[in-house]
Amino acid sequence: MRAASNLLAFFGLAVTLLLVWRRSWPGRLRLFVLQSAVLALLAATVGWLAGKPALLVVAGVFLALKAWIIPRVLHRMAAGTPVRPVAPGRSSGLALLTAGGLVVAAYVIILPVTASATLPTAGAIPLAFAMALIGLFMCVTGRDVLGHVLGFLVFENGIFALALLATYGLPGLVEAGVFLDVLVIVLLMEGVVVQIRREHDSISVDHLSELRE
Amino acid sequence: MSLIALLLAPLLAAGLLVPARRGLARGVHAAALAATLAAAVAVAHGVVVDTTVVALDGLLRADALSAWMVGLIALVATLAGLETFSEPAGRRFHALFHLFVFTMLLAVTTDDLGLMWVAVEGTTLASVFLVNYHRTRASLEAAYKYLLICSVGIALAFVGTVLVYFADVQQFGAEAHALRWTTLLRWAPQLPPRVVELAFVFLLVGYGTKAGLAPMHTWLPDAHSEAPASISALMSGVLLAVGIYAVLRFKAVVDLAAGPGFARRLLILLGLASMTVAAAFLWSPTSLKRMLAYSSVEHLGLVALGLGFGGPWGIAGAILHIANHALAKATLFLLSGRIRDVYGTVDIALVRGVIMAMPVTGRAFALGMLALLGLPPFGLFISELMILGAGFKEGWPAATVLALGLLLVAFGGMLRALHGISYGAPAAWAGRELVTWGGVTPVAAALGLLVLTGLAWPPGLVAALARIAAVVGG
Repeated sequence: MRAASNLLAFFGLAVTLLLVWRRSWPGRLRLFVLQSAVLALLAATVGWLAGKPALLVVAGVFLALKAWIIPRVLHRMAAGTPVRPVAPGRSSGLALLTAGGLVVAAYVIILPVTASATLPTAGAIPLAFAMALIGLFMCVTGRDVLGHVLGFLVFENGIFALALLATYGLPGLVEAGVFLDVLVIVLLMEGVVVQIRREHDSISVDHLSELRE
Repeated sequence: MSLIALLLAPLLAAGLLVPARRGLARGVHAAALAATLAAAVAVAHGVVVDTTVVALDGLLRADALSAWMVGLIALVATLAGLETFSEPAGRRFHALFHLFVFTMLLAVTTDDLGLMWVAVEGTTLASVFLVNYHRTRASLEAAYKYLLICSVGIALAFVGTVLVYFADVQQFGAEAHALRWTTLLRWAPQLPPRVVELAFVFLLVGYGTKAGLAPMHTWLPDAHSEAPASISALMSGVLLAVGIYAVLRFKAVVDLAAGPGFARRLLILLGLASMTVAAAFLWSPTSLKRMLAYSSVEHLGLVALGLGFGGPWGIAGAILHIANHALAKATLFLLSGRIRDVYGTVDIALVRGVIMAMPVTGRAFALGMLALLGLPPFGLFISELMILGAGFKEGWPAATVLALGLLLVAFGGMLRALHGISYGAPAAWAGRELVTWGGVTPVAAALGLLVLTGLAWPPGLVAALARIAAVVGG
């Protein structure tokens, strides 16, 4: 159990770092699908080894939502945008370095939690928290609407992993509500993106700066 | 029973309004407003008689704090809902209006903190389309910022919720009701204090985003100024208060687990930050609705300050201030919508001579502004006095003096703006105001209530505030 959860969480974090590094949108979308699949596998593994059949259901819903439905919506949202954002001279080095720093920060911040955790999956809690922090970072520094949404979803995935590793998942009612919320957020975002593209002929957030003091 | 009716009324209305025809929609809308208000009164009555009202095996639970919020939400929803009769609005508008009210009511009446989180996130999702109702470039930008910032903020609150659940399950094993507030409160003294403190930081930042506390307030002025007037009234009047409500529930837990000092210091810090940001803008506001929006940042900051100061005066003052602010701000937003209808703009430099062009609306707006500025005989004067008094009493003189200074800056700026728009010669393009009983009565009632909380407290108010303070804990 300890080894399996550590390995899968580590793999999930590695994919998250790759997400920070990749620039091409289709590549990032594929990495997001991979990350979601890894986390679904993590949920299924924890559910199987800990004898919690409910987690298998959660893993199935998570897989369907985050690795299939939402990526399809994202794909639709991105239709017609250039594969690479046109921003010469911007490399991923600094972003990757920051993400590395966030991993260290995650270990420090979450210390009180790991110190009092007794579940066999506790060792991987900082890895999940690091995923969440990196997702937050991606969301805040995103240059266009797609970057924001993808960062938010990675953030959400990290929190899912955190809840899974720290507590074997939240009560079913809450989990279901969270899945519904995420789906509605993404669908609303799609509606907003359609309108932004109609108004501005681009989805860069540089256009969204009329409301200033 | 009354709790279920309270939630069903707006939810059913939202479902019925989607396919309803125009004439029928008005009837359903009016009936839903009346039913929600009646159920809210029933819940409040139940709480007065039995202390708590419970439904669905404890999943829904209303205590004094919930009842206070339920009453406010129903009251402001009625004020705002009546205004939508004169606004041209499609049926999706009314359906989402009631869905929005439903999510707010669910957030304050559920005992399950996980479900509360889902409901608070639901408030954002239900109102995004309403913010973007005019479908202009500006409203689109406001809706996008609102959706993104509040979703991220609320996700941070989810991290906090997970950490609280972790602390709980770690100590007492997986229990079906582990995320119930009543369960948490019972076990709080044995929870690991460091984990609960860490969780509270996430929760305060997350729900603080919804409450419009600086530095997470950046979505607020845009969303409040671009939304239709009735939605601005709901958002400013009660949505922000729902954010504070969520913080309060967790504050009670963290106070027991880690001692009261931790939450207090954080709340005072965020309160002063909010008041500073607001005062900087309010010194010379540019748009009427942005001025009202920043004033919400200021007042919610003051509420946070009162909760941070604590003590019987601080808590009661903050709770009362939430209600006073809701009444005053909702009224002002509705009136600003009427001013926009006549002038075609809310730019402070262009709106002149409102009292001459719109004698009724203009005077009501001036009265509402004087109430908002904290002048007697209106209730905000009393609640501000209680909060600032608590600051001195509980040993925070420097923070109190700073807050007083910031209040004065905002006072000066807003008084100047009020003078500018009230007097002078009205612009030639300004139309005429339409005075109807249906438009005047709600505004008069709200201002009347504000005088009541300022001059003569109705019987039972002292007892109600004391009960709420007992729920929140000093």
